[in-house]
Amino acid sequence: MVADRRAEFEASLIRTAETRGQEAGAALQRASLLRDAVHRFSRNRAAATAAFAFLVLIGFVFITPMVVSASPYDINFENAYLSPSWAHPFGTDEFGRDLFVRTALGGRVSVEIGFAATIAIMFVGIVYGAISGFAGGWLDNALMRFLDALYGLPYLPFAIITLAIFGTPSFWPMVVALTVASWFTTARVMRGQIITLKENDYVRAAHALGARWYRVLFRHLLPNTLGVIIVFVFLELPGVVLGEAFLSFLGLGISPPKASWGTLAQDGYSSYQSHPYIIIVPSLAIAWLILSAFFIADGLRDALDPRTRSY
Amino acid sequence: MLKFIVRRVVWTVPVILLVILMTFVMMRQIKGNPFQVTERAVPPSIQRNLDRKYHLDKPWYIQYAYYVKGVATFDLGPSLVQRNQTVNDVIKEHFPVSLKLGLFAMIWAVLLGIPLGVFSALKQNSIFDYAAMGFVNSGYALPNFLISTLLIYFFAVKWRGVTGFPTNGFEGWHAWILPALALGHAPMTVFARIVRGSMLETLQQDYIRTAKAKGLRWRRVVGVHVLRNSMIPAVTAAAPLLGFLIAGSFIVEFIFGIPGIGRYFVNSITGRDYSVTMGITVMLSVIIIVANLVVDVLYGYLDPRTRDARA
Amino acid sequence: MRNRSIVRAGLAGILAVIVVGSSTAATGKFGQSQKAGVLRMSIGAEPPSLDAGLATDTTSSSILFNLMDPLIRLGPGPALKPLPGAAASWKVKGATVTLNLRKNVRWWNGKPTTAQDYVYSWLRTLSSALGADYAYQFFGVKGAEAYNSCAGGKDAKGNACDEAALRNAVGIKALNKWTLRITLTSPQPWFIQQLSHTSFLPVYKPAVDQYGNKFTEAGNFMGNGPFKLASWKHDASLALTKNTKWRNAGSVKLKRIEMQIITDGTTAENAFDAGNIDLNTTGVPPSDIPKYKKLAGGSRNGALGPAGKAIQIDPALGTYYYGFNVKNISDVNQRRAMAFAIDRKAIAKYITQTGQVPAKGFTPGGIAGGPTIDKNSFMPASHQTSKAQDFMSKVANPKKDIKLYINNSPAHIKIATAIQAFWKGIGITASIKIQEWKQYLQFLGPPPNSDVDVYRLGWIYDFPDAYNGLVLWTCDSGNNNTNWCNKKYDSLINQATKTPDFDKRVLLYQKAESILTGANGDLPIMPIYWYTFVVYVHKNVHGFLTAPTSQYDFTKVSVS
Repeated sequence: MVADRRAEFEASLIRTAETRGQEAGAALQRASLLRDAVHRFSRNRAAATAAFAFLVLIGFVFITPMVVSASPYDINFENAYLSPSWAHPFGTDEFGRDLFVRTALGGRVSVEIGFAATIAIMFVGIVYGAISGFAGGWLDNALMRFLDALYGLPYLPFAIITLAIFGTPSFWPMVVALTVASWFTTARVMRGQIITLKENDYVRAAHALGARWYRVLFRHLLPNTLGVIIVFVFLELPGVVLGEAFLSFLGLGISPPKASWGTLAQDGYSSYQSHPYIIIVPSLAIAWLILSAFFIADGLRDALDPRTRSY
Repeated sequence: MLKFIVRRVVWTVPVILLVILMTFVMMRQIKGNPFQVTERAVPPSIQRNLDRKYHLDKPWYIQYAYYVKGVATFDLGPSLVQRNQTVNDVIKEHFPVSLKLGLFAMIWAVLLGIPLGVFSALKQNSIFDYAAMGFVNSGYALPNFLISTLLIYFFAVKWRGVTGFPTNGFEGWHAWILPALALGHAPMTVFARIVRGSMLETLQQDYIRTAKAKGLRWRRVVGVHVLRNSMIPAVTAAAPLLGFLIAGSFIVEFIFGIPGIGRYFVNSITGRDYSVTMGITVMLSVIIIVANLVVDVLYGYLDPRTRDARA
Repeated sequence: MRNRSIVRAGLAGILAVIVVGSSTAATGKFGQSQKAGVLRMSIGAEPPSLDAGLATDTTSSSILFNLMDPLIRLGPGPALKPLPGAAASWKVKGATVTLNLRKNVRWWNGKPTTAQDYVYSWLRTLSSALGADYAYQFFGVKGAEAYNSCAGGKDAKGNACDEAALRNAVGIKALNKWTLRITLTSPQPWFIQQLSHTSFLPVYKPAVDQYGNKFTEAGNFMGNGPFKLASWKHDASLALTKNTKWRNAGSVKLKRIEMQIITDGTTAENAFDAGNIDLNTTGVPPSDIPKYKKLAGGSRNGALGPAGKAIQIDPALGTYYYGFNVKNISDVNQRRAMAFAIDRKAIAKYITQTGQVPAKGFTPGGIAGGPTIDKNSFMPASHQTSKAQDFMSKVANPKKDIKLYINNSPAHIKIATAIQAFWKGIGITASIKIQEWKQYLQFLGPPPNSDVDVYRLGWIYDFPDAYNGLVLWTCDSGNNNTNWCNKKYDSLINQATKTPDFDKRVLLYQKAESILTGANGDLPIMPIYWYTFVVYVHKNVHGFLTAPTSQYDFTKVSVS
């Protein structure tokens, strides 16, 4: 699902890289470019609202459990399946546990998994792509051929197989499973970026001045990809969170009493006819996260690439 | 051009071998006995007989060799759980179902998504644009399982008298509408966004301005120039989307009770049916690889620059 | 130009799909509305195999039971007396069983089912080449295990063995066309009842020879029972039609049975509510069970009927239990405390909600002699926290951190969560470790896994004798993951196999059960509840019930 976005994205990113490559150069200009991007971003109303919404969600997810104390052991069958009310804004589940807090706690898990997996994807993708692009020659060729092979791995089946290998699903197995088949496009884009940036004059100048390869890579090339990386983070995050929800829905999620939005939705699915709110609430939370991340990504991209303005 | 195609085709063979190897290795890491279905422990003599029957007592490289030979002769082996069926049988029976579902979902996505994207771009920033994009974005963010659940609840249970939709299964054309909607919804939103984005870009182009300035009829400009050039990103997005539709239909198949390959796949992993899991994974990979190949060739044909960059 | 070709391609694609789509719409659509004489139902899984030698699960066995004519049928519970089926009469003398077959049991093509058919089928199931899981059902027969262990000319220890000779030595012989003689390894009082199990059904040799592995497909399958296999669309549906030539065809009222394979409870519920099926054996999500109980007399789309008929609960022969690793939780008083802290009634009432009976002991009360066997067992129905705390106080070195292993079905997770809370009340912190089913089974052992403190399993009886459940806890049992071994218990069980008199045997079982779950018992396992079978049935479906052995007998069902 996110692959499609990347297809569109790839094209625009390469253009962005070219533009930035030409504009960039030394660290001097970077500060003003960044400030410029921030300024443009905040003027984009949709993106700014999305950023605000995102922060609200993160706040809800992390702060609520600290303020409202509720233990997952608080089983009270009398209170089971209460509809949303003042005391229980989202109602209660089958054990009588308050869903408001459970959603927040579940959100913590989902968001943590989401960010961890996204960072893992970024890391693997960047390392792979940077090495391939920077090295060039036969190494680049070999790595890209291998990547082509990996592209053939369908994402969900491999995530499921990975989880099955780990057996009991918990935090790290989930992160690994979500990363396993998702980093390919990142690698490809990074490689494309590095290749394009490599051709720039300032890089040649650096070489000519005697800079070692790692200095060129870390000081000049990678920082110029930072913008792209950040946009990608917000682009990958929805896919990862949705992936985790899917896997949990199929029954492969985090073990209780911990919960994630996906496991909450799975719990809710079996009772959706009589108590629909149990599945609706976590689904809306997921949607909220995805939407806000999406618009942030859009806004960031617009802020970095001056060409997609209205005509 | 021909050399390009041949080169790409030849490369798919080692790619497929690699996919098989990876799947094989990963499956073998999963613990669990395919032959123990209930709590009842399998008596040792029977376990021996079963292992012998399915070559599981041989070392892994011999099993791998058997398997590769099988793939080459299109014999994907017997199912370990469905004792009277082979993997070929399973795929022959269930894959067409998933394919049909995927195609229908794709048709829906194209029929609704592209016009939405086109008109949103043409009427940018109007009420229509905001409404359409609102619908599209919220639809994208809502998880598949929620959409499926809501669709069934309203159209197949509550309003059954009016619509006559069945709640599950795939018999009769009535039964395809809801699952196609549920599955095609996300790609529809993707198409809408991509088409809108690329149309906006194209509309900015100088040659469009020129055509407008020249006084050509707007309809002709849009219909001939803008549309054609905007479709390319949509086409390239279609290939990975098809992969998503097939592999990612698990949840829709599960909820709607459709006997497709996705549902079978999940069951085969939980049942440790090695041959079915490998067979389906290999098949899905082949499809994705072929789809990518087609897109690459298409892209190479449409845009000669990528031939050299990619190869 | 490119534009047009895209459009053209698109149209062609759409056209192709419509053509393909409508073609499947024409074939075999199941009835959307109720018709007299036709039973539309859901089953919960695709039958893994309809080969009598390979069928291991309840779905396959239920279907086979109606496609075939079993030797023995079981009477109503709890006694489950063996009744003549394809076998007209039998004689048991010590370890020898002689069956006299009816002469009017015919395969669907008119040929009679003879003793030779049984000899062929049973030896086929025992053969190592077939790899039949349930070959062990025959291990009570002389020479059976030896024959089964000889694979590829070598036996279990690697010594050479002669498969053909071993085959001839198996104690299954056809004395003539209508008489079957079985020689057992020892007298087994329950063997006749065991003959009602699916593994003892015959297969039709010419079909196996001709179609090989595919002889179970709808066109190829040859049975001898009241219903024929009209169609089998894998993972989607099965259809059975009445065999008008069956020996008792006059008493069969159903003309056709349409089974949809619906694995998901919510989907099955939707189908039942919408009137697409009249019998839901897949089940319904637990949270919606109260709806069916409440809607007595009310009608939603006419699907739910008069009081008490919408949901049907039949007792089952099975126990849901938690096993202890007695090496890790070595003090029996701690085990007793943990058993007493649980509220079995609340679990049955709020979580499983379908009439499960809180287990008093391991042997289900519904089995013949059950109440006597469980007389001294003392598992409490509601939780008794004070008694539990009493027990805990007697423990010198209590193990407060417990690892509870379960497999990942939602119901087990709910029960485990509740039990986790119950145990917290007596100071025990249990962490729930969820594993996926297959991995779980392998993980538990044998040999028992030292990491496991408590594990969850259930046991469904293969045949309706308490022996089948009690034998699990003998020292050698491959299903005993508790590390518990009690010689006295073993000798009692052993003695029972040599006791053909039912009442005497029940007393032996009683003694064994009190070693397990009695007041002075060792409590290596903690039974929680006894299973029930739950189905949802429309008021126009009559005569349906789930036998304690989980089989459905469609010859007694009618749809008005």
